[in-house]
Amino acid sequence: MSLTKTLHPDEKFKAGKLGSTMVKAGLGLAVVMMIVSLVLGSMHGDGFKRFLHAYVVGWSFIATLSIGMLWLVLLHHLTRSRWSTVVRRIAEAMTTAFPLVFIAGLGFVLPVLLGNKTLYYWSADDAHNAALNPTLQHKLGWLSPGFWFVRYVVYGVIFSGISYYFANKSKAQDESGDPKISDTLRRVSGPAMILFAFTTCLLSMDILMSMAPKWYSTIYGVQFWGSGNVGAFSALALIVLWLQRNGRLTHSITEEHYHDIGKWMFAFTFFWAYTAFSQFMLQWYGNMPEETVWYKYRMFGDWQWVSIAILVGYWAFPFIFLMSRWTKRIVPSLVFFAVWQLVFHWLDLYWNVMPQYDWTKVTHGGATLVEGPLANQIALHHVGFSPLDITVWLALVGVFLVGVGRSLTGNLIPVKDPTLGLSLAHEQL
Amino acid sequence: MSTAEATADHADINEPGAARETFRAVTRDVSWIAESPKPHKLWLVALTVAVLLFAIGIYSIYKVVMTGIGVWGNSNTVCWAWDITNFVWWIGIGHAGTLISAVLYLTRQQWRVSINRSAEAMTIFAVMAAGIFPLLHTGRPWFAWWMLPLPNDMGSMWPQFRSPLMWDVFAVSTYMTTSILFWYMGMVPDLATFRDRNASKGNNVKAMIYGLLSLGWRGSARQWHRYERAYLILAGLATPLVFSVHSVVSFDFATSQLPGWHTTIFPPYFVAGAIFSGFAMVLTLLLPLRFLFNLQHIIKQAHIHAMCKIMLATGMMVGLAYGTEFFIAWYSGNPFESFTFVSRAFGPFWWAYFAMVSCNVLIPQFFWSNWVKNNNVLIWVLCIFINIGMWFERFVIIATSLARSFLPSAWSYYHPTRYDVGVFVGTIGMFLMFFLLFFRFAPVVAISEVKGASDGAHASGKKGAH
Amino acid sequence: MSTETPPPEETPAGDSSGKHAATGELYGYLAEYDTPGELVEASRKVKDAGITEFDCYSPFPVHGIDPAMGIKRTILPLIVFGGGFSGAMGGLLLQWYCNAHAWTWNISGKPTWSIPANIPIAYECGILIAVFCSFFGMWALNKLPQVWHPLFRSDKFLRVTDDGFFIGIEAKDKRFDADKTKALLADAGAIDVEPVYFDADPAKKVMPKWIMAFIVASTAFALIPFAIAAKARNSHSAEPHIHIFPDMDFQPKFKSDTENDLFADGRSNRGEIPGTVARGWLEEDTTFYLGLTQETGGQWIDGFPAMYPDSPSLTPDLRGKPFAVDAKLLKRGQNRFNIYCTPCHGYDGRGQGMVPTRVKEQGGVWLARNLVDKAGPVVNLPNGQIFNTITNGFPPTMMGYGAQIPAADRWAIVAYVRALERSQIASNEDQAGQR
Repeated sequence: MSLTKTLHPDEKFKAGKLGSTMVKAGLGLAVVMMIVSLVLGSMHGDGFKRFLHAYVVGWSFIATLSIGMLWLVLLHHLTRSRWSTVVRRIAEAMTTAFPLVFIAGLGFVLPVLLGNKTLYYWSADDAHNAALNPTLQHKLGWLSPGFWFVRYVVYGVIFSGISYYFANKSKAQDESGDPKISDTLRRVSGPAMILFAFTTCLLSMDILMSMAPKWYSTIYGVQFWGSGNVGAFSALALIVLWLQRNGRLTHSITEEHYHDIGKWMFAFTFFWAYTAFSQFMLQWYGNMPEETVWYKYRMFGDWQWVSIAILVGYWAFPFIFLMSRWTKRIVPSLVFFAVWQLVFHWLDLYWNVMPQYDWTKVTHGGATLVEGPLANQIALHHVGFSPLDITVWLALVGVFLVGVGRSLTGNLIPVKDPTLGLSLAHEQL
Repeated sequence: MSTAEATADHADINEPGAARETFRAVTRDVSWIAESPKPHKLWLVALTVAVLLFAIGIYSIYKVVMTGIGVWGNSNTVCWAWDITNFVWWIGIGHAGTLISAVLYLTRQQWRVSINRSAEAMTIFAVMAAGIFPLLHTGRPWFAWWMLPLPNDMGSMWPQFRSPLMWDVFAVSTYMTTSILFWYMGMVPDLATFRDRNASKGNNVKAMIYGLLSLGWRGSARQWHRYERAYLILAGLATPLVFSVHSVVSFDFATSQLPGWHTTIFPPYFVAGAIFSGFAMVLTLLLPLRFLFNLQHIIKQAHIHAMCKIMLATGMMVGLAYGTEFFIAWYSGNPFESFTFVSRAFGPFWWAYFAMVSCNVLIPQFFWSNWVKNNNVLIWVLCIFINIGMWFERFVIIATSLARSFLPSAWSYYHPTRYDVGVFVGTIGMFLMFFLLFFRFAPVVAISEVKGASDGAHASGKKGAH
Repeated sequence: MSTETPPPEETPAGDSSGKHAATGELYGYLAEYDTPGELVEASRKVKDAGITEFDCYSPFPVHGIDPAMGIKRTILPLIVFGGGFSGAMGGLLLQWYCNAHAWTWNISGKPTWSIPANIPIAYECGILIAVFCSFFGMWALNKLPQVWHPLFRSDKFLRVTDDGFFIGIEAKDKRFDADKTKALLADAGAIDVEPVYFDADPAKKVMPKWIMAFIVASTAFALIPFAIAAKARNSHSAEPHIHIFPDMDFQPKFKSDTENDLFADGRSNRGEIPGTVARGWLEEDTTFYLGLTQETGGQWIDGFPAMYPDSPSLTPDLRGKPFAVDAKLLKRGQNRFNIYCTPCHGYDGRGQGMVPTRVKEQGGVWLARNLVDKAGPVVNLPNGQIFNTITNGFPPTMMGYGAQIPAADRWAIVAYVRALERSQIASNEDQAGQR
């Protein structure tokens, strides 16, 4: 508890050109993959419906990485955490990607605002048919493109605002070394955390849960956040290791810190499984058709294999292996599991979105109307993978890397943070 | 405590004998409570009150068992009332102990060492109190053994394991067992301390009793190594256990189809609420005892600050859950769900709802203020309100959803009877009684852990500061 | 309100003689150190000197002492993992066996092996077994309880749980040498080095006998309730059960077929109240039930009733249906006749059944009517009267069969009797054609 270290005299803690390397790589990836995606998307011939769905999945992926790291930054200040000081600047960089992430999100948000009716059923004309959709009518004010867009902007402003506040104050402390900054951030982190929680829940419900507008689950926001943190900590591990491979922070960030990042990956893998199981088991047990229809599409037909893959790959396998000390402390193993969990995090988001893809048509009162996703009549359909799903994902990852790389400038470690010494000396029990 | 303060204390700890003096002080300050020949007057008064309350409970339980649960206010409509409210309330209180022992250990919060022993004891007694209610509410508690998968001559007829009530049996008994084992394991080195103190004073009988209880512990480093591993493993097991136990309790409600009960957020919401009420109970017990037994420099104000902050955080989580439930009740378009939420606030139990919201959402807001966090009397009062609020939360969930469920002709109201109150009051008495006895005879602070977390533990002596 | 303060501290009574006077062989040396840091350094020196049979003793686990002493990581985590996994699988297996295999239950139409509903218990079982492995495994690996140890004979060692830091080197170590080892310990910074001896009495080296006896006895006593339960699972006693909680086992009411001294006949069962008729059993249809032509009085009917009454006393296939004299009726009549009537009247209806034959063999007389006699009365009786005879009997020889044969069957028998007659008194026309 009272052991401290100082920064190693040879330590390279300046980002130098690394940030712009990441920006360039990200930009290249984003541009190339986006062009490919647009081409593939138009080839689908569905008015970019598939493109937009893949976009929502990919965007949710990068948004959760920033959201998870914002949570770490807030928690760090709130609990006066010591181990995470050495990685906090990198986490802050991942959060200051928010403005760019939300601008990139306009790629699916603006079409909805401007009249797209194939992404969210609540924007479709037939959603307003009271005879066809009696349970939707009361929420179409909430789920209207205009109000939904306003909320999207508000989420972006809130997340970006909090992120920049904490990142800027942290950078200011590099100059002045003023310990009062830490106290201010600690006091602000409380209300900020509350705001963070409400915003995260509402965002997940607006962007993902409303893809099945007649379905609902109160734990959705919590489950979204838990799953997101698995990806966020995995991404943190990879970025930290990449920086070290490029010669930065090689003395400051040790396997003791990887161990902690790995512990969070493990903890959130378990927490996600707990929330996802709660949601599933309760809706399965209650057996109420308006709830079980969401799972019916994921338990039978082709999607059951994806579900089993997620159960085994996102929970069981990492859970068993991340329990051990060594998987978390040995770099190749940590890299393996970080990449693995990032892929499965994407698959989990994909699993949340895509079973709602096919919308049935139904004859109602003489007219053929669109009944929307998860309508019970449809045979459990097959929605195969498309390369578009991957290319859009990679394009958005590229955007994320641009956002992070832009912030990887100056000091990669908060050099005058009062807790730095303790963080450098951090050791596991 | 800031880093500046931490480094200042460092300077003199390496003087010869300085570290050992701090260790001796810890041993002294904790052991004298059990060693003082006469118990403190107030302790005796409190114990008498507790035993009286317990006696009321015994009589009430006797009536309930011999006459039947018709002596309670439960009806066909409101079939669960005080009985299950109390069960969930007590189990929730127990969770703080495990959280302090296990989760704060895993997150390396050193300040836990001053309170974890008492908190663990509180957990055990709370779970004992909780267990009385499911046993009684069956109406024929002598058939409780039917819930065990024992071969029998009725087929064999096996229990229905798919029922959340059966899950409760396994979860609560696992929790009870784990809590007792974890608590006992933590106490062994301290019981050894008591053994050695009594041996050095020549109290051979006491030394032998503590000696047997401490299993011959001698502080061997090789044994400490395995002990520490087991402690870490038990902490790592107790954490998912504590999450699962209250989640399983929440499943009692959430697996049903009743509006207000069937909602997926119940598991984490109940766990957060449990931690919230549990910490409030820890402070309710420890603040007076800390004052009376002079433990101020072991249970520091900073630790109390931290507990207040945890209550604020978990209270906010509970508030987030309230908000989410309310939002989704509207969003879902389920008229029964939205009716239930309106009925909670404006129906016959509006007064309970008001108590719940003010105690659980408004009262914790006081903990933003540093002035409040330094004022122990005020904290104590606020904690009592929080526990009242959490009791009302469970009552509101149970009673409003049952009293105004799907069939209007079955709608009813609920009045508790003297036996409802009697059993509850009795469990409070039992809990207090056991806790007071624990406080008098057992090591109430984890002596070895406090020493291990102190500055002296890093003293390197003549070689100079690290 | 006064608060108590701790009493002034006395220095621990250090009596080094007296109770530990008698000594046996040397156990080893015990050295005391001032701070945890010095203990770690000293233990490193001891390890580097090649000594293996040594241990450090402290009131709390000292940071950094494991690598200094060369302590290897324990296998406890593996034991726990194995235990947890088996526990979870065991829990799953228990639920499968009980609810999906041995006695399958359909609960809410869910699959009999409902895995989502089985997860909570499997999870708890896993954790419970893991906890047991962790707790008992740790004590077992630590070889505790072990309340006897030579170090407890040292008075200084009493401080090991208070503020003392010790190294103990055992004499059985290969590199042990009385002087060299003592010097090693002192050079490492010991405040004090003292030799420790075993107790002279070899019995004190092992667990006291009375503890073992206590463990055995209490285990035996603990098994008694299980033994009683096992024995009591099946009772061969003719005595009534013991009712600890009476519940509603003894109710203030009379059960039928029990004694009752309120009534002269001593019975609780008062029989049917006269004039009560079960719903649907009011036999209003006099044609069907009495064979008479009209409501009261009247004459015997010649033919058969037109309809079966719509009454629950009839089988569903006949209830409310028109009465049909068909093959089915005659087969039924034959079947019933063969059961009830043939003992006296014989299979041919001539009255030479088993009963009259046997009575005759015995030298007696039993007159059974010849039902098919061309000259006889039965052939000329209207159907209703035959029905009445079947129902009420023909005293003194024939008892009424109204209680044994339902009305519908009695009509079937009447029809069969007519068929029997026809078969015995066939005319040429009857024999000529197939009808």
